Amino acid sequence: MLTNYFPILVFIAIGIAIGGGALLLSRLIAPHRPDTEKLSPYECGFAPFEDTRLPFDIRYYLVALLFILFDLETAFFVPWAVVLRKIGVYGFSTMIIFLLILVVGFIYEWKKGALEWE
Amino acid sequence: MYIESLVFVVFSVMLIGSALAMIVSRNTIYSALFLVACFVASSVLWLLLEAEFLALILIFVYVGAVMTLFLFVVMLLNMDIVSHEKGAFVRYLPVGIVLMLGMLALMMYVISPTHFAVLTSVQHPADYSNIKALGAVLYTQYAYPVEVTSVILLVAIIAAVSLAARHKGNRRSQNIDVQLAATKGDRLQVLKMPSEKFSGASDIGGPEQPARGE
Amino acid sequence: MPVPVSDLMLAAPQWFVLIMTCVTLLVSLWSGKKASPWTYGLSQVTLLGAVVITALMYDQPRTVAFYGNMIFDKISALLTIFVCVITAFVLLYSRDYLKQHKMAYTEYHVLTLFSALGMMVLVSSYSFISLYVGLELFTLPLYALIALRRDAAVFAEASMKYFVMGAMASGMLLYGLSMLYGATGTVDIPSIASAIVGLPQGQHLIIVFGLVFVLAGIAFKLGAVPFHMWVPDVYDGSPNTVTLMIATGPKIAAFGLVVRLLAEALPDVHVAWQHGLILIAVLSIVLGNIVAIVQTNIKRMLAYSSIAHMGYMLLGIIAGTASGYSASMFYTLIYAIMSLAAFGLVSMLSRDGVDIQRIEDLRGLNARNPWLAFMMLLVMFSMAGVPPLAGFMAKIAVLEAVISVGQVWLAVVALLFAIVGAYYYLRVVKVMYFDEPIKKTDIELPSMDMRVAMTINGLSVLILGMFPAVLMGLCRAAF
Repeated sequence: MLTNYFPILVFIAIGIAIGGGALLLSRLIAPHRPDTEKLSPYECGFAPFEDTRLPFDIRYYLVALLFILFDLETAFFVPWAVVLRKIGVYGFSTMIIFLLILVVGFIYEWKKGALEWE
Repeated sequence: MYIESLVFVVFSVMLIGSALAMIVSRNTIYSALFLVACFVASSVLWLLLEAEFLALILIFVYVGAVMTLFLFVVMLLNMDIVSHEKGAFVRYLPVGIVLMLGMLALMMYVISPTHFAVLTSVQHPADYSNIKALGAVLYTQYAYPVEVTSVILLVAIIAAVSLAARHKGNRRSQNIDVQLAATKGDRLQVLKMPSEKFSGASDIGGPEQPARGE
Repeated sequence: MPVPVSDLMLAAPQWFVLIMTCVTLLVSLWSGKKASPWTYGLSQVTLLGAVVITALMYDQPRTVAFYGNMIFDKISALLTIFVCVITAFVLLYSRDYLKQHKMAYTEYHVLTLFSALGMMVLVSSYSFISLYVGLELFTLPLYALIALRRDAAVFAEASMKYFVMGAMASGMLLYGLSMLYGATGTVDIPSIASAIVGLPQGQHLIIVFGLVFVLAGIAFKLGAVPFHMWVPDVYDGSPNTVTLMIATGPKIAAFGLVVRLLAEALPDVHVAWQHGLILIAVLSIVLGNIVAIVQTNIKRMLAYSSIAHMGYMLLGIIAGTASGYSASMFYTLIYAIMSLAAFGLVSMLSRDGVDIQRIEDLRGLNARNPWLAFMMLLVMFSMAGVPPLAGFMAKIAVLEAVISVGQVWLAVVALLFAIVGAYYYLRVVKVMYFDEPIKKTDIELPSMDMRVAMTINGLSVLILGMFPAVLMGLCRAAF
């Protein structure tokens, strides 16, 4: 089985080599003469007043969380879809019930307005 | 066989290294990215154990979704650089190392092949599908836990929405239906005003007028 | 594989609660109101329906269902009934508190019901996998419930503490279970028990290694020393009604966890877990009773008292005999009833801007409402183990169990510290009866059903103490 994944290993190795190699080469070959002006962040005309990073809105968090939950749901679908013909009515109905339970959650978040951005 | 051990060593070192770096790093974003590296490395280790579906799910769910959430949380709390006291880390390090070594010795002794029961390594054919084997039992034999899992997911949805969703009251929102349904009568009010007489030209072209224009 | 219709029948209480909870959620969503009477009514129908269904099924023989993932036996039936009844009381007691503190009404009910469902799954699980998902299902809603009250930061803090500690406990338990799986090659509880019997002597080591983690996870969930640190903080930091939930149902579920893991999966390594449990039980009894003395906050005091009570409960498990397990079951159920009454009173008296936090807040309760003071008196005396109340009978039962296996010193220690413990329970009684009230006005519970429920709850402590035979008989029949 593992031999099937050998190309992926080679792929990873090449990826790391190209990505790391580019960084390494630029480090070795490119001129590197930093000074304070070059390293300071550029902001039109005057020194920066505060951190440029602002706290994110909590809504991003909610969206990410809901994404995880439905991502997990799809993870449950994959093996089911692969063996659907073998597991018969029992396996099919298992997943339908699984889905129905999650649909209740979906209705809840829809109704609560968690999917609306405004 | 040889290449398998090589892959194992490389990715175990990567796993341990990035786990350490995650703890030591002061920048929380770097920590989160090191955690991604941990997940990738352990996914390769799982693949070596022929748990291919779980290995892919690890990348799919943890690297794809959970880490996004982690990064959002880091940015939500705006804690880019944690000034965690190096003192505490160094102070507890000796105790931690002793505990860790003790635990490691115990585990290496206990989990040695003589104590472990299930060591029947089955040689699977090249077209063996882990996903099919999993699916064949997951939705029949383990249907009951699977349904309970979906209820856990439902609870997670309810908990997340009720804790994180802002209440509608303190939210400024656009109600497009109402806006479109507005008529001239709702918005425009024509008032009858008696015409006023200005007493002189000086009131209009006062000294403030140019000042306001500037 | 065939569709197991008869299995579905055996899981009827679980299905009923699941479907009805979803219905409650949807109906409440469409009712449009913040606190719809439908939410409360449907929740109570759900729980009472589950009680009725389980009671009707009670006489069915012990059956394993869903390919060994679930079991229906007398233990699961009795624990399910108690979980549902107690959750129904919790919802009744908390109805007013929710409205006063603007907690999300629908979510509170739905999450509580799901937590009860998780407990039902846990007590009727017969494999490690369903046991673990049941455990997660019952704890996950509890973390969220604490944070539902949003008017102060303490609630989020308590929720966070509970969550981190709970996640660690789950991790430990899971690690231990994976070791047991590694040693035996199966996750089904009966197969593990029989696999251990067949193991050669040298392989027991890994079982013991896994067992240590399992015990740590169990002690965390029970809130027993040395894994008790979260208990006072979480009890104190949670909204009163959520404390009420955490202090009652989960104890019953944790008892189910102990029975399934130790008594049913690992009876053959009884000696190994007995030593661990003796340590946990003695430490819990000693520390819980001593630290409770110096508490001025009533919730913290009851939290330490719960640590001590969990120690007493473990005495029966330590005995490792059928009569010991049934004594522990009796103790757990009685403790859940007492704790329900104590925290129920605390949360129902926290009204009109008065939040009962300190023991002092109960000053002169007798002058203000003699009946409620009497109920609290019964509960406090019962927790202290004063005859003829239920707490006394429960203590006698577990002490009898440890003495019967020759651990007399354990019984002596337990008895000594029960006397120490009596001090702080009696102090509450003294404050209620002999101290001058701060406000002279009468207080009354908000509605008739709450008064009736409180009376039933308080008197049950007395009645079960005088006539313990029925409940004791049910507990004996379970093992």
